[in-house]
Amino acid sequence: MRQWRSKMARALGRRRNLASELQQEMDAHLQFLIDENLERGMAPEEARTAARRHFGNQTTVRERSFESWQFPTFESFLQDLRFAARGIWRARVFSLIVILTLAVGIGANTAIFSAVYAVLLKPLPFPSGERLVWLGESSAKASGISVTWINFQHWRMENHTFESMAAFENDDLTLTGRGQAVLTHAGVVTRDFFRLTGSRPIMGRLFTASDDESQSSATVVVVTRAFWAETLSADPQIIGKTVTLNGTAYSVIGVLARDPGFFLPPVDYYLPFRPSVAQVSKRDAHEWMRVLGLVKPGVTLSQARADLDTIMQRLAQADPGPESDHRAFAEFLTEQRTGDLRRVFVLLMASVCLILVLACANIGGLLLIRMTTRAREMAIRTAIGAGRRRLARQLLTETLLITLVGGAFGIALAGFGLRAIEVLGPRDIPRLSEANLNQPVLIFALALTLAVALVCSLVPLVSSEKVNLTILLKESSTGSGNSRVGNALRGGLVIAEIAVAVILLFTSGILLRSLWAAENLNPGFEPKQLLALELQLPALPYKSDERILDFYARLEAALRAQPGVESVGAVNCPPAAGDCRDWWYSVMERPTPGPQDVPVTLINMADAAYFRTMRIPLVAGRAFSDEERAAGPTVAVINEEIARAWWKDLRSALGQHIKVGGPYMEGPVIEIVGVAANVPQIGLDSPPLPEIYLPAAQRADAAMVVMIRTKGSPESMIATVRQTLASIDDNVPMQSLKTADTWLGATLVQRRFTTLLLVLFAAIAVVLASIGCYGVFNYWVSCRRQEIAIRMAMGAGTLAILRRTGRQVVRLGAIGLVVGLAGSWGASRWLNSLVFGVSTHDPVIFSSAALAAFLIVSLSAAIPLRRATQIAPIEALHET
Amino acid sequence: MLILRSLKLESNHAYGISQFLQKQSDSEFLVDNGSLYPALQRLLQCEWISAQWKTSPNGRRARYYSLTPAGRKQLVKATSKWQRFALAMERILAPEG
Repeated sequence: MRQWRSKMARALGRRRNLASELQQEMDAHLQFLIDENLERGMAPEEARTAARRHFGNQTTVRERSFESWQFPTFESFLQDLRFAARGIWRARVFSLIVILTLAVGIGANTAIFSAVYAVLLKPLPFPSGERLVWLGESSAKASGISVTWINFQHWRMENHTFESMAAFENDDLTLTGRGQAVLTHAGVVTRDFFRLTGSRPIMGRLFTASDDESQSSATVVVVTRAFWAETLSADPQIIGKTVTLNGTAYSVIGVLARDPGFFLPPVDYYLPFRPSVAQVSKRDAHEWMRVLGLVKPGVTLSQARADLDTIMQRLAQADPGPESDHRAFAEFLTEQRTGDLRRVFVLLMASVCLILVLACANIGGLLLIRMTTRAREMAIRTAIGAGRRRLARQLLTETLLITLVGGAFGIALAGFGLRAIEVLGPRDIPRLSEANLNQPVLIFALALTLAVALVCSLVPLVSSEKVNLTILLKESSTGSGNSRVGNALRGGLVIAEIAVAVILLFTSGILLRSLWAAENLNPGFEPKQLLALELQLPALPYKSDERILDFYARLEAALRAQPGVESVGAVNCPPAAGDCRDWWYSVMERPTPGPQDVPVTLINMADAAYFRTMRIPLVAGRAFSDEERAAGPTVAVINEEIARAWWKDLRSALGQHIKVGGPYMEGPVIEIVGVAANVPQIGLDSPPLPEIYLPAAQRADAAMVVMIRTKGSPESMIATVRQTLASIDDNVPMQSLKTADTWLGATLVQRRFTTLLLVLFAAIAVVLASIGCYGVFNYWVSCRRQEIAIRMAMGAGTLAILRRTGRQVVRLGAIGLVVGLAGSWGASRWLNSLVFGVSTHDPVIFSSAALAAFLIVSLSAAIPLRRATQIAPIEALHET
Repeated sequence: MLILRSLKLESNHAYGISQFLQKQSDSEFLVDNGSLYPALQRLLQCEWISAQWKTSPNGRRARYYSLTPAGRKQLVKATSKWQRFALAMERILAPEG
């Protein structure tokens, strides 16, 4: 310890001093010896020589004395490092290729990993977020449907596996009295919600038991900090003041320190959950309520589910009803949040891993080639006394240095990539925007870099296992490295590269075709020259159906009167808007289905002009007419999907009757008057679902999307539509106004993004694989220059040479292709859920991937093969 | 240890130390300078000896090494350890003779 300390002091300070002191000391020593020799009577010159001889090698003494002051391992490491840096600089092209390859591999991995980390791995920002469970009900037909208030009460009181539970739902309310009326978003929650999400007030209080009481009439609101700062102008005296929501005054009781970010998209404020009269009295009164639960530590999901199911069974026995078969649906919040995204991200991560494998293979191959060309250098070093370990360390240091440089570039690249993801990425992926180069991501990148360094430096080490000094030194440099191990390794690299490229090409190809199919899908209506105006009428003054209908009638009339507008129709749920509502139904003229077999359909509301405006063809019967009135006979238009399910001849559906709600629930019986073509209701990349349209006149809804067919470009009409709306009622907030094209395209953003990334990865893979194969083939030809030259000298023609050299290339390419196609076949099963409109085993894509692989091999082999035929035998043979 | 012992009575320079060791061991030990100098450096690092430039009796400037208190302690420790070791060796080897 003491020794180390003084060494350190010396190392940092007086090294030069040490040298001169030592020199003086040795001089003195010599002088003593000379004196002694002189005393013995030698001549001065002789005395000096004898003294020198007696003293020994001065340089060795000096070096070894210095050594005792040094940290040998550390200093030789520094030496290695210097040497490595020089080596990298000397082979600039080689180094640049290696660094770029690594930067791409590590950069892609780091960027995707940081996205995966942000979206999938990072803990939810709630205390004990890993124990939070998303609860719903499930029936035979659907899972995760809403929970009824009575069930929730029983769950909350009687469970044994949960620490606490809170109910929540969304609501939209119109804020008035603070400038222009705006639509605001509320989280409607029971009081435990705040505790579960770890929310604290910075002002005032949160909900208490008295706010939760269903009888309580006090209207209170807890606002988020952002809402308080932006809309309530950060009023420090806000507690106790009121805000007017849907015409009712709510008094502000608290401001949250931080919005828990539970609701997506985020909400502006929270209202206490007040169950309706129906909810309190009927066990099957479903609305939109779901439940958030915190399971006790150590409780598994299935235990929690079983616990709630016992309660459900008990309730079913005590109070049998149509929903006796309902059970609890439970999913960890972390999984519920990510859902299908997991698959997408695993796919992306797997692809970048393959890219990294390619990068590693390339670098390993390059190092291998470099090693064999350096074999003589290594042999000479061994000959003059470098130990095997020392050489290995030197090589490792060199690889490590170059990998670290590559890794650093990779991280920089990942930074750019993340910015690109932020700009281009879909907005609907939760927490994607939080992706950044944080600590775990950097650790990942570093670990990846080190792993790559180790793997890559292992390759040359393994291949240099049996270096035979004498043979190597005798052999010419071109002949060396033709060892069996080296050959097998290089062949393996070519196979791996081609296989990986084929797999990535196949995957991106199949997604590209899916995207193509989705983009070019005939949507069943004409999306060009169409504007969609989304409205949600405030509950005040639009309390009654008459008022709502009157508003939309006046708005549509006013819009139709505008020049440039061709027709106007309204719908509750436009195509690609998702599942606005679904319900059970049955066909009256058909046998009654069993309670478990009641079919489900989407329910939509449209007015008389909707089908005409959208140009949705009516396959049979008629569209709604203006004659449909609330009081008149109830009618419906069904879509082709549902009609084909029941009737062979679509026309025979007309006049038949549908019971909404199915045979076991209350609901109106309606007559089918028309069959409309399918439109993609959920999104462009999802298959058609059964759908029933009800006339808006008979079932008014405050939320409608007014579709406006324009004569010219729809964008030019936006201002006109805005003015027209304001002239009808200034207080109606506009939810959105965009072209139908944008509206439809939005559903494909995520798919486009995934596909874009995968195509990019496949392109990188192709480039890397080509470079890698080119490197190996080129090296082969170089190694065989003399062999080929001899063959040529013996009279072999160009064709014979090509055949001989090409045979190896073709063999490796074929094996790579087979492995790659097998891998693709395996991957395709797994891709199933991401594929749309094309078979996962699409032969076209398989053959294109194979063709691409063939091109990679032939292009990367072309130049080396050409070089092989251009060899001039005389020159090559003289080279030795 | 041998160097420490040679410095027990008086401080000395490198040449003197090698002379001393050679003389004391009846030329059994021939001190190689390639070992002596690094050894001196190590002892310096451990602060068991200290060094000083002095003029020798015959008028030459030389670097004189002397024991430090820590070095003295180390010498005692090493000596007793060596003696125990030597004794043990002797016991093992003696019965033969």
